[in-house]
Amino acid sequence: MSLQLLFDALALGGIHAIAALGIALIFGVMRLVNFAHGQFIACAVFALILPSADALAVLGLGRLPAPVLVPVILSVGAGLALAAEALVFRPMRNASPVTLMVGSFALGVALQNLLLVLYGGRPKAISLWAGLGHPVRIGSAEVPLLQLIVIAAIIVILVGLALLLRRSRIGLEMRAAAEDFGMARMLGVPANRVISGAFALSGSLAAVVALVLVAQTGIADVRMGGQIMLVAFIATVVGGMGSLSGAVVAGLGIGAVSALLQAGLPPEARPFRDAFLYAAVILVLLFRPQGLFAPVGTRTRV
Amino acid sequence: MLRQHGIRRRMAATTPLILAVLLLAFVIAVSLTHDRALARMAAETLIRVTLVVGFWIFVGNSGVVSFGHAAFACLGAYVSAWTTLKPAMKATLLPGLPDWLAAAEWPVAAAAVAGGGVAALVALATGAAILRLSGIAASIATFAFLAMVNTIWSNWTPMTGGTSSVVGLERYVTPWAALAWAVVALAVAAAYGASASGLALRATREDEVAAAASGIDRYRHRLLAYTLSAFFCGVGGALTGHFIGVINPDSFYLSLTFLMLAMLVVGGIGSLSGAVAGVMALSLAVELLVRMEKGVTLGVTTFALPPGSQEIIIAVAMILVLIFRPAGLLAGREIMLPARWVGGRADRTTDPTS
Amino acid sequence: MSKLAVHDLAVRYGKLTALAELSFAVAEGERVFISGPNGAGKSSLLAAIAGSVRAAHGRIEMDGDILSGLSPEAIARRGLSMVPEGRRIFAGLTVQENLMVGTGMRRDRGAIADDIAAMFAAFPILAERARAPAGALSGGQQQMLAIARALMTNPKVILVDEPSLGLAPKVVDEVYDRLTGLQDLRGLTMIIVEQSSARAARVGGRMLLMRGGRIIADGDAAGFAARDLLAEAYFGEPA
Repeated sequence: MSLQLLFDALALGGIHAIAALGIALIFGVMRLVNFAHGQFIACAVFALILPSADALAVLGLGRLPAPVLVPVILSVGAGLALAAEALVFRPMRNASPVTLMVGSFALGVALQNLLLVLYGGRPKAISLWAGLGHPVRIGSAEVPLLQLIVIAAIIVILVGLALLLRRSRIGLEMRAAAEDFGMARMLGVPANRVISGAFALSGSLAAVVALVLVAQTGIADVRMGGQIMLVAFIATVVGGMGSLSGAVVAGLGIGAVSALLQAGLPPEARPFRDAFLYAAVILVLLFRPQGLFAPVGTRTRV
Repeated sequence: MLRQHGIRRRMAATTPLILAVLLLAFVIAVSLTHDRALARMAAETLIRVTLVVGFWIFVGNSGVVSFGHAAFACLGAYVSAWTTLKPAMKATLLPGLPDWLAAAEWPVAAAAVAGGGVAALVALATGAAILRLSGIAASIATFAFLAMVNTIWSNWTPMTGGTSSVVGLERYVTPWAALAWAVVALAVAAAYGASASGLALRATREDEVAAAASGIDRYRHRLLAYTLSAFFCGVGGALTGHFIGVINPDSFYLSLTFLMLAMLVVGGIGSLSGAVAGVMALSLAVELLVRMEKGVTLGVTTFALPPGSQEIIIAVAMILVLIFRPAGLLAGREIMLPARWVGGRADRTTDPTS
Repeated sequence: MSKLAVHDLAVRYGKLTALAELSFAVAEGERVFISGPNGAGKSSLLAAIAGSVRAAHGRIEMDGDILSGLSPEAIARRGLSMVPEGRRIFAGLTVQENLMVGTGMRRDRGAIADDIAAMFAAFPILAERARAPAGALSGGQQQMLAIARALMTNPKVILVDEPSLGLAPKVVDEVYDRLTGLQDLRGLTMIIVEQSSARAARVGGRMLLMRGGRIIADGDAAGFAARDLLAEAYFGEPA
């Protein structure tokens, strides 16, 4: 495998891992399959630019220098997720997981169309951090500087998140709540704090994905969250819903596999790459359901 | 006991009748106006009745939310296009069709049945795998199925035309044609709901643990409901194609999934009447919103909603229903004639399930 | 004033009545066993006190504060802790982490380390396995972890649901030894659901006998063994 391909696989896998983590965190604490996560990503992308229906995007927040911009956009993502929790999911907290899932689907549609109303339906060109496109030589391969930064950032985020979950009070509470929410509450762990924490974290992870996508593709599209969310879903399912480490490993794996498939599949089969991925989800659900939805005690296979 | 049970059954049998009569009255009322726009709205609404009633056969009886039924509508629409389009048209738009399909010029009704049939076959094959999963896992798998069908249809250009539209479908779907299918869907849905399989499936709906005990049976009933359900979604897809005259894979993707789900949730997943009520309520809302997006003149100012606000308003309505009336507008009740009309005394204390 | 008082408490699941307007009071430092046949409402009673099941009506007071209607976490913060049925330890967390979950609300941060040391002294096996995932412990060890975890919240009242369930008699002896030892040491008020009246009599304390969601007898646990009340609770009214 060439070095170039390795970096492609790492970067793509890393983004999917971060997106999958955002979904797994929320599923872990409140059994919500959050179909709105892709729209959290899209909203964070559009937060960079000023509302208008023109094809050329005018940067708003995106004009800020990176050390300011990154925390601002992360806060936008966190704030959006917190608002969604307070307005939509908190009033539904005693509802079944199915109701929550349908609610998140509706929320996703509302957010996507809100972007459509504010920004129009055409994809827009955004140039964010254009200077990072130039290549760097590593051994025999030429790798864009941006890709190196993305990989480094993903490593920092994953390590930071692992530390947060392992070493901090809120991390301990989130892990306990993910296993048995009712028991954690009887030990004085406040439900609202844990759920808000999970949503804030999930929203800022969505914002990370947004920044990386914009920097890499230079495009803002109202529909851009949907595709990555689907793949992230696949990763959370393959990794075991609610399992954070599972989501990371599966996200990395799927990203790597799709980079490899893209390079290795015969050209006429390439457009169908994603169809293979979707079929893989169904297969994984069928053959390893016990590892995927651990709390489901019912017999699901005949 | 037995006598009351019989009366209950006769009362339940009036549900599809009443619903069909209401739909008939709706079509007659619309035809009397001779308003073409209204007639189109009526036809579209009745196509949605077929789609959503089909969707309800599975979701309402099993309690498993499916995100995949728009894919069955997609299959139905394309099968109908493959079998009814003029061969010359197919030669240019869909060069990859096998010879027998390329030459086919079927009657539209047969094409609709074929569309439903192919959707049902695909449902039988994929459902055999997907329906082994428990609730939420099954829902995610249906979503993966939807995405898979959309990806294949968008890229299988020689057969489907890819993302570019297939045009020239005969636009035969009048309100009356749509009504005919809607009534068939209602009758079959009511018959399935009252059948042994439908009753057994609903009994497992609430309680996954108890359902596990009946393991294999639940799976079979789910599969039957899924297949039947896919048939009418396939037919609904075929009707949609022949109503608009143009199809492409994205017209049977997330927006349709959303609309079908919204209609079912708003009306109430628990009853057939709820499914129909949801279609009527949201179709009315959609019609109003579409007109407002085109612009409404109030005195001297013209007021227009921006495109996309339709979906926002429906999504918000759906969320509000989920929060404040989670069982939907009809809360699981059926519209039926009172007992004394079907030849018995009403006993209010009788439990409907006894 | 009693430490914990329950007035006319009723709990319903749909049409099913789990608790039918029962009342009792527990004094500070008292040990109360609750016994009765399956379905008598014992676990529902504990769950209602801990706030994880909502009462249809009635009132629960601790130190004169009304607990009913509060969230489980708010009740825990007022000093009530639970060792639930089936133990419900966090299997994926380490033993030490399990102990730490309930300490987030404590104001006396400095005392937490001392308490951990005290738990490790009372349950040496937990000290040995401190870094192991709790899911790897045996049933008896998990029961001890559940007790230690409940005590780490520094409670005044502790509810224990069937501590002997699924454990060998020898292990049950050990669990009760530690439980009563810690109760005396910390001056805890304790309510224990225990199926075996013989066991309750041996450990000693007051006993409430439940049947059909009501309390049908209230007295010294040692006295119950001699009387026919147990048979009555299990088999219906005496002939």
